[in-house]
Amino acid sequence: MSPDTQATMKTSTPVPAPSALLEAPVEDRLAAAIGEIVRQAPDRLAIVAQAGSDARRSIDYGTLAQAIAALEAALDAARPVGIVARAARIESLVVIAAACGRQHVPVAFLADDSRDLVGELRDWVELDDSLTLPPAPAGGRKRLEFETVPPQVIVATSGTSGPPKLVDHSWESLLAAARLSEQWHGLGWLLVYDATRWAGIQVWLQALLTGGRLVVPASRDPDVVARALADEGVSILPATPTLLRRLLASADPSLLQKSALDRITLGGEAADAALLRQAQAMFPKAKITQVYATTELGEVYRVADGGPGFPATWIGKALPGGARLSLRRDGELLVRLSRDTAEIGTGDLVERRGDRYEFTGRRSDVIVVGGAKVYPKRVEDLVRGVPGVVEARVYGLPSAVTGELVAGEIVLAEPLPEGHTPESVRAAVLKACRDGLEPHSVPRILDLVKQIATTPAGKTPRKPRA
Amino acid sequence: MKPVVAAVADAIHSVLRDTGREARPIEPPMLLAADLGLDSLDLAQTIVLLERSLGVDPFRSAATSRTVRTVSDLVSIYETALTTGGSRA
Repeated sequence: MSPDTQATMKTSTPVPAPSALLEAPVEDRLAAAIGEIVRQAPDRLAIVAQAGSDARRSIDYGTLAQAIAALEAALDAARPVGIVARAARIESLVVIAAACGRQHVPVAFLADDSRDLVGELRDWVELDDSLTLPPAPAGGRKRLEFETVPPQVIVATSGTSGPPKLVDHSWESLLAAARLSEQWHGLGWLLVYDATRWAGIQVWLQALLTGGRLVVPASRDPDVVARALADEGVSILPATPTLLRRLLASADPSLLQKSALDRITLGGEAADAALLRQAQAMFPKAKITQVYATTELGEVYRVADGGPGFPATWIGKALPGGARLSLRRDGELLVRLSRDTAEIGTGDLVERRGDRYEFTGRRSDVIVVGGAKVYPKRVEDLVRGVPGVVEARVYGLPSAVTGELVAGEIVLAEPLPEGHTPESVRAAVLKACRDGLEPHSVPRILDLVKQIATTPAGKTPRKPRA
Repeated sequence: MKPVVAAVADAIHSVLRDTGREARPIEPPMLLAADLGLDSLDLAQTIVLLERSLGVDPFRSAATSRTVRTVSDLVSIYETALTTGGSRA
């Protein structure tokens, strides 16, 4: 454990007074919470960046508050119509968000793959890690004093199911899922998501609103992530099933065993039963929660009973939070958020297995082979169960003969179980698929790879490798 | 054996092996369906494997409308594609 983590953990946990948090206008809350923590403990550790590497650096709440105050003064003087956060450093993004919120300046977070969309934000000012506003262009528009409508927060979609696009959010919707009660105060959060995307913004807001410590690993390399978990006293790990699976499959187990995780929050994709079992075995003290949320609906439900999918009895009943789930005839999950709202198709397909509904994949992921549908997640779940396989992905390859063809990639265990060779594991995978799947679902192309690529959002891609 | 013939034979061998069927000698006059038991999925797999080994997929361009019945049909389609530059992957 690093020296300043130890120091922080010894001090009592100062927390922002709930009144400061809840009475402040929603767009002021990040700056207000950071200010409140600084009044109690200015040198409290806020962010550990580049964690798990030699470039590790730490930022305390006092430093954040100073930078926020400086940027607020500059924004107040310049009155830009909006700020595009161009910063690469996590602490700069936090400062930009907090200052823009309290100064009522609209702010946009653009991930690397959505940088081209900046043209849609005319007259907005780009702000990089220097946090210095460039001189206003002559004749450029300024924000008017009487613009009192709540400032929007623009976040680009990840572009997994189409080209990235800019989506207007509000501070209200951004903070809707934040957990502010006392049990959530002063905890260590790991940020494996991209800090400029919706899921990542949620994590750093949550950590810093509650006086927590945000730990950002230097990369998604499994050993780097495992070192960050172990060395920085992380207690909460929000991740996609793909990122968690990679961590369990490829990180040094002795590092993982050193971590003190209390909670794993899975989202973005469906988790299979095998992954939930493996994660619980590696982190026996951790409570594993699966969050089901979509860009359009926000958070719909959480399930923490250790099983995949959700209990079958939930269909047609009002859930805590008010949402109601139902099914289209083809198995697509439909959600009605409240009595007054319409039923919305989620694009996620589910199937009844025993007393649960389990996810079989997204409608848009379905591979069509000679007119027959293949659910890639079902094939992946089967392939991952073959001894010697630690990771797998299945995708569709275009084919002039059959429209598409099922293709897959597997990562082998290192070392392989005794008596196995790469070729024998590959043959066993194909045999397991022939025995357990319809002929058109069996992968026709199956490559052994060192690592499965992940999308920028940390999910398993459904496209052929570029 | 000429390289294209060898590549086609290799691809068909891989298809037979991956689908759990017995290896057998492959001769140019053999019928893909009747003699070798290849169905449309097998042919689709063969084409992907040949794209990897030869670098072309002649079936991607609409110009390839010939029926493929025998091993030598397949060989000549790839030989044509390679000499004319075909539709390179």
